[in-house]
Amino acid sequence: MGSENKMNKTTKGLTRRSVLSAAAAVGLTRVARAQQPAEVKVGLIVPLSGIYTRPGQVMKMGAEMGIEHINAQGGVKALGGAKLKLVVIDCGDTTEKAKNAAQRMVAQEPDLVAATGAYLSSFTLAVTEVTERAELPVLTLSYSDLLTDRGFKYIFQTAATASRQSELGLPTLMKLAEAASGKRPKTVAMLMDNTATSVATAKALKEKLFAQEGLQLVVEEVWTPPLSDATPLIQKVRSAKPDLLLFMPNAVSDAKLGLEKISEFGLGQGKVPTVSFSITIAEPDMLQSVSPDVVQGIMTIVANWGSKGHEDLIAELKAKYKEPWMTQNVISTYGDMWLMKEALEKAGKADRQAVAQAFRTMDAGPSKYYPGGQLKFDEKGRRVGAGVVIVQWQSGVPVTVYPPELAQSQPFWPKKS
Amino acid sequence: MTVPQLRSLVPALVFTIAYAAISLGVTNSYYQLVLTLVPVWAVFGLSWNLLSGYTGLISFGHAAFFGIGAYTTALGQIYFDLSPWLLIPVAAMLGGIAGLLIGFPTFRLQGHYFALAMLAYPLAILYVFEWLGFQEVTLPIKRDAPIAYMQFADPRLYTLLALAIMLATILLTRLIERSRFGMALLAIKQNEAAAEAAGINTLAWKLRAITLSGAIAAAIGAFYAQVLLVVTPQSVFGMLVSAQALTVAMFGGVGTVWGPVIGSVILIPLAEILHAEAGARFPGIQGVIFGFAIVCVILVAPEGLFWKLRDLLRKRLAPKAAATLDDSQAPATTVTASRPARQRAANGEVVLEVRNLSRSFGGLKAVQDVSFKLHKNEILGIIGPNGAGKTTLFNLLNGFLRPNQGEVLIDGRNMSGERPHTICEAGIGRTFQVMRPFLRMSILDNVVVGAYVRARTDEEARKLAADAIARVGLSAVADRVAGELSTKELRLMELARALAGQPRILLLDETLAGLGHGEADEVVAVIQQLARDGMTIAIIEHTMQAMVRLVDSFLVLDHGAVITEGEPEVVTRDGRVIEAYLGKKWMAHAPH
Repeated sequence: MGSENKMNKTTKGLTRRSVLSAAAAVGLTRVARAQQPAEVKVGLIVPLSGIYTRPGQVMKMGAEMGIEHINAQGGVKALGGAKLKLVVIDCGDTTEKAKNAAQRMVAQEPDLVAATGAYLSSFTLAVTEVTERAELPVLTLSYSDLLTDRGFKYIFQTAATASRQSELGLPTLMKLAEAASGKRPKTVAMLMDNTATSVATAKALKEKLFAQEGLQLVVEEVWTPPLSDATPLIQKVRSAKPDLLLFMPNAVSDAKLGLEKISEFGLGQGKVPTVSFSITIAEPDMLQSVSPDVVQGIMTIVANWGSKGHEDLIAELKAKYKEPWMTQNVISTYGDMWLMKEALEKAGKADRQAVAQAFRTMDAGPSKYYPGGQLKFDEKGRRVGAGVVIVQWQSGVPVTVYPPELAQSQPFWPKKS
Repeated sequence: MTVPQLRSLVPALVFTIAYAAISLGVTNSYYQLVLTLVPVWAVFGLSWNLLSGYTGLISFGHAAFFGIGAYTTALGQIYFDLSPWLLIPVAAMLGGIAGLLIGFPTFRLQGHYFALAMLAYPLAILYVFEWLGFQEVTLPIKRDAPIAYMQFADPRLYTLLALAIMLATILLTRLIERSRFGMALLAIKQNEAAAEAAGINTLAWKLRAITLSGAIAAAIGAFYAQVLLVVTPQSVFGMLVSAQALTVAMFGGVGTVWGPVIGSVILIPLAEILHAEAGARFPGIQGVIFGFAIVCVILVAPEGLFWKLRDLLRKRLAPKAAATLDDSQAPATTVTASRPARQRAANGEVVLEVRNLSRSFGGLKAVQDVSFKLHKNEILGIIGPNGAGKTTLFNLLNGFLRPNQGEVLIDGRNMSGERPHTICEAGIGRTFQVMRPFLRMSILDNVVVGAYVRARTDEEARKLAADAIARVGLSAVADRVAGELSTKELRLMELARALAGQPRILLLDETLAGLGHGEADEVVAVIQQLARDGMTIAIIEHTMQAMVRLVDSFLVLDHGAVITEGEPEVVTRDGRVIEAYLGKKWMAHAPH
């Protein structure tokens, strides 16, 4: 409002001097544009050492593909075709290392205009404590609610938050079950580890969603990773015979142990429909330790996945990096590069403040690389309308089965025999 | 504080000021963060050193205190809106309490068992915090009152604050190191039993050490949370945190105030540089190089860089020092056995009476039904073949072992079953068959440990120690490090340590063992002199020759029981004694 008034005044009192100064300003802009760097640096801060190396590497693949495609298509047009340059920073495997790496990133790379990272929400929390103070905008695929509950101005969460994911995911799942099997599940068992993401998801489920969907929680077991023996957990599930099993591991080894035990107890292959809430259970690593039959039919509700419309990307990923399919880590980080480019086009200059402002005010329509919603952020920095994807293991490949517009395949509800 | 003590603080002050000057010149926020973390981990290492470095009880669980501190600042700010300026002292208090609570049950364990038990605490607490739902806690940003909440825009202030905490910790450690407190801890490290025997209440001192150590660790943990801004159970209670304390202290040097500081100054920036430089090119290589560097240093300098460097410096300065020592060493050797024999003690007042003392280990009766009296100013020789129960008898007398039955009367008061330090206070001092000198300490410092049982102040203790050293004739070499001494000098030093507590009764366990003929005579002369000065002495010895000249009477043990007792001339002719020592066939040679 204020700036509009000012504008009106200026237009009214148009003088020769102001015209001249405006012209000068335009001239200056042109000079400034000519001086824009041929390269614009964007950051990728992910774990590349320690136990989270693998997801970090996969995110790097997504970022590299994104940068390559953007540059091949003419770079940032608003900056005279400036190319994007990726700065990769290893955030290690502890919160302290992540914080130190973030400090290094902002101190040693003053030209960065935006960054994305840092896989684990604990790391993203630490990284954004630093970037917030350095006023560097950061995109993240981490989905802890806490990330965008701190009143920060420079963090932009592209994924639906953990609580939102369960809010969105569970009703959809119920509908899917009803449509496929003809009856609504009534009882549910929940096996989860006690990591921050699982705890947040479980909280939303228990406090609100189970009651809302008429589900009765019959078994609830929590373990601290690493899981050493899944037998007692699965025994409880077998004796309770729930209509639905929510199995929420965050480490591939835990997922493997649990699923093998489910299969061993004769609960696999859809005898008890099993659903997860993270990408762990659909990581390519799973197939190194379990056979496709063990995972057949298992579903997981995730924030993003390679879907319909990403066929070329998936093919390229397969050819270039030998990755069998596209997980959230790849597609989201790939999309982040395009989102940064979009913000740079809007900002018109390679400046972190301008880019941050561009993220805040962006309204770029439906998103191509994130499920549901718009390329637009609310005042907390959460992407407006961010949705979820349901992925199902079908013949050894986890494919997107929901929402219909992104589905690569039809979902099947494992029928109780 | 005395002038030399103040002078010893100069290096710490100079180091702190130089460090502060450097950090003020650094504007890069990343380098500044590294500069902040160096004193943080140094203080954590110092807190570990205070317990484990000085007492030798290795703690694998210092993260317990660190984490308690970190969560205190985080939760105190979130739930009670308190300022970290207040919360850091609160954290220190909680850490101290935690130290006491953890120490009390855990000090029942020793060695590896203690280390393993300590390992369990942070891991257990970690799960408690996860269960409570504190997986990820972030410190709220206070945009309106940053200074009141220790949130500085200028990162240099964090470094200065961390430096202040480090300087305070160094000064505190120095103070402790030179006081009765530090001496007690060092004595515990060398030999807990010997320390108890020297009159040190080891449990009380260990509890004080772990309380203080926990308080410092919690305080620095609280400050660390303020720097890290995000607290997760793994980042403050995790194994790596406990390991960090061990790494910096062991790398730099255990049991010295400079060890953790040196370790931190080298390792923390090294890890970061590797992370930034090598890690960017070959992710993961930084851990390999870092680990390799530590392994190499530990191989070359197993006790840490500080001690290695000190030894090297000492070696370089040694030729000069040795020249001056040669002349001064003379007095120690001039004490000879040529003095006239002492009048044998008359049957004076009984100072120690043993009645029907028995102790068995399973089926082995180590000491059975032993009774004897020790008169004032008497020298009693306790002899017998190996395994006769001589040392066990001493252990029963000074409280290391509880008797199964029987009484030990000191001045008529039954003291059997009391703790060693209490018996030491009652006036019994002892030396050990296996010497336990504190090799890196000077003779004076070694002896001071024994003086605290009588001395009220540090000064008094030094005076008592100096007197004791004079009595054994080691005054000239009092400033030399125990590691450079000969066996004879070490024996005399042990004797001095026992004397420093001004005992009325001395229990000497094979004081002449391992000495050459001439050397034994010198030590015998010293013991005789002690007796002349009114000391009552019980001595275990194998060397009969020396004993016959020394003692007033013999007590002969075999298979835990008294065979005979009496004057040396009588006992040495006793057939049972010869049989016990030499076997039946020598009986024929026995004079009848």
